[in-house]
Amino acid sequence: MKPGFSRTWRSLLSWPRPAGGRRFSACHFCDTLHEANPVAEGTAANCTRCGAVLYQNRPASLARASAFSLAALLLMVLVHVFPFLTMDAASLRRNLTLIGAASALIHEDAPLLGASILLFTVVAPLMLAGGMIYVCMPLMAGRAAPGAFIVAKWMYRSEPWNMVEVFLLGVLVSLLKLAKVADVHFGVGFWAFGGVMIFMAAAVAGIDREELWDRLEVARS
Amino acid sequence: MVSPVADGRCRRCGSTLHLRKPGSIQNTVALMAAAAALYIPSHVLPVMTVVEIGVVTHNTIIGGMMTFWRTGAYPIAIVIFTASILIPLLKIVALTWLCLAATGRVHPSPAALGRLYLLTELLGRWSMVDIFVVGILVSLVQLGNYMTITPGPGALAFAGVVMLTMFAAMSFDPRLLWDRLDELPGAPNPSTE
Repeated sequence: MKPGFSRTWRSLLSWPRPAGGRRFSACHFCDTLHEANPVAEGTAANCTRCGAVLYQNRPASLARASAFSLAALLLMVLVHVFPFLTMDAASLRRNLTLIGAASALIHEDAPLLGASILLFTVVAPLMLAGGMIYVCMPLMAGRAAPGAFIVAKWMYRSEPWNMVEVFLLGVLVSLLKLAKVADVHFGVGFWAFGGVMIFMAAAVAGIDREELWDRLEVARS
Repeated sequence: MVSPVADGRCRRCGSTLHLRKPGSIQNTVALMAAAAALYIPSHVLPVMTVVEIGVVTHNTIIGGMMTFWRTGAYPIAIVIFTASILIPLLKIVALTWLCLAATGRVHPSPAALGRLYLLTELLGRWSMVDIFVVGILVSLVQLGNYMTITPGPGALAFAGVVMLTMFAAMSFDPRLLWDRLDELPGAPNPSTE
């Protein structure tokens, strides 16, 4: 850190950091140790050896993460109320919902497949969006919610298992498969899930992991 | 500065700390071998069974793709080919290469191999699309005597391939590649920089 770096200038550049000396950041990819200097809003610090992003300073991070995850949560309600697809065939009308797809597999003797659909399209997105809002909203008032550290840990653990976009591709492929045998229409659920996909991506990209944990630690102390 | 790893646990979130993922290579190889073993059954066994007016047909993933190709739906055939045939194979090949490089049997070029690792982590999830299609079709096509679709054993095998390769990619530690590079003669010593 440059010696002439004033306190006010630094606070303009970055989020509040926990007290205590110089801060370091090890690249999660190649393990090179860096001094973790604050970066200007909207920019990122990259590893000097492998180029991976060390941490980013996102503008309006807490507000964006909370707002986008709230939007995703609200749309999740619509996803469960309205069907993704409606199919008319042989004088029957069938609707597709996430719970319906999972329970159909469970009833047809494929409980593991049904459970994996439930996990990847219902549980993981709920953990991610719900966890994000639970952690970030109280942080806007400078407070850490009860159990926020555990919630934040499990929220980031659920991230790779969140497969909203993959399910949407699956709906499109199924639509093409069924187009020959039946009359198939998109429902509100499909578009709402598309919205969930976009808002979840925006919420996760809205706040840097390092910043979230720093703010939690500052709020706790 | 004392390394926080000496504490054993993260002071913030309580996770166990380690310098390198423990047993990274063994775990990756074991999970990958299991995935490779399931790969053949997942494409030979039917992923779903269609009963149309009493006529039973067993559908495999490759069969479904061929149907799209024959009917001229080339983009969707290419999507299915990439997601369900190419990506799992590429992941197994890529992880084998990464493990060989991390154990010093192949020259470690961490910059290029690192990109390969990121790519396998990024693409792996898209293979799940076939499982979702099976779930969607089984749920929608329950039309009594006219047409019903039930899931087949191939679907479970394929879901196994996807999840095992995802776990294998997660248990691989890309830092091992950089450790190898540091050991090579003529490598810049990071501690003097």
